[in-house]
Amino acid sequence: MGIALEVYRTCRRTIEEHGGGRLSRVRMAVGELAAVEPELLVYAWEAVVVGGPDEGAELAVEWRPARQFCAACGQAKARASGSWLRVCPDCGLPLEVSGGDELDVLDLSFESDAEEPGAAGRPG
Amino acid sequence: MKQVVTVKRHALAANEEHAELLRRRFAGSGTLAVNLISSPGSGKTTLLEATLRALRGTVSCAVIEGDVATENDADRIRALGVPAHQILTGGSCHLDARQVARALDEGGIPEVDVLFIENVGNLICPTTYDLGEDFKVVVLSVTEGDDKPVKYPAIFSRAEAAVISKADLLPHVPFDLAAVQARIRSLNPTGTILVASALSGEGIGGWTDLLRTRLAAKRRAGV
Repeated sequence: MGIALEVYRTCRRTIEEHGGGRLSRVRMAVGELAAVEPELLVYAWEAVVVGGPDEGAELAVEWRPARQFCAACGQAKARASGSWLRVCPDCGLPLEVSGGDELDVLDLSFESDAEEPGAAGRPG
Repeated sequence: MKQVVTVKRHALAANEEHAELLRRRFAGSGTLAVNLISSPGSGKTTLLEATLRALRGTVSCAVIEGDVATENDADRIRALGVPAHQILTGGSCHLDARQVARALDEGGIPEVDVLFIENVGNLICPTTYDLGEDFKVVVLSVTEGDDKPVKYPAIFSRAEAAVISKADLLPHVPFDLAAVQARIRSLNPTGTILVASALSGEGIGGWTDLLRTRLAAKRRAGV
């Protein structure tokens, strides 16, 4: 819930910086190691925007898997489904884990209050 | 008119900025900051009481307590003559960096060698919020399920140390200690695992040694 609220604050701030408007969609990247469940995040998001000026705005979550590499075997290793083990399934040595900890706001789309970009500044 | 704006910002960037300020503040005062995370009832406060008694006279300490309600935990720490501030989150399940900064500014917490931040009892959300700490410690009591590390892998893989608490109860509970240690190690091959009992004193020496070593290393790095 706290994360959804922070994401919404970031959206509002960004939109205000771009002349104001109504948020329609925000895209996030969530890594499998981020300790955040996308479904719950979307549920919290709906609770954050409901009843407000951005009601109905969509949160789209892109899932980012972690990559695991075993230096001893010299190859990337798949993680067994449902397992968080960070040791190589073949040789038992610790795996190098990269990525998968993303929790990022990527971009957002909104309906601008302005008629056209830069309209106010254009000579009539 | 429809516009698309690229943001590319960490979802908790605001918290990260405050955490960075805290990290600089702790570096300036040479304070080792430890973020204690566990389920409710795993014995964090009791472990802290034993720790503070063991460090008394040699390492100055202070404690920031996070709870949804009541000053009970801070009162227990103050009873030992150690400065403590209670953050009441009023329903929120974790502490954030802003709350910790406010506690330091307004809670009368002096500059100390070791600052313990006892997070709200919860193994999920506190994992995500950086408090500017030097390291996270996860506490797991032997009365909890021994599959907890694999149920909550994120915190066990991120915490530099895991303390298995209430070890005095081991003969009375079906807790497979060796299996738990293996599970934690598989999630976090380089972390430290300690087995401790605040009641019997077992393992408290190893835990305070870890704190002293980390404090000395931080001070050396700061010179």
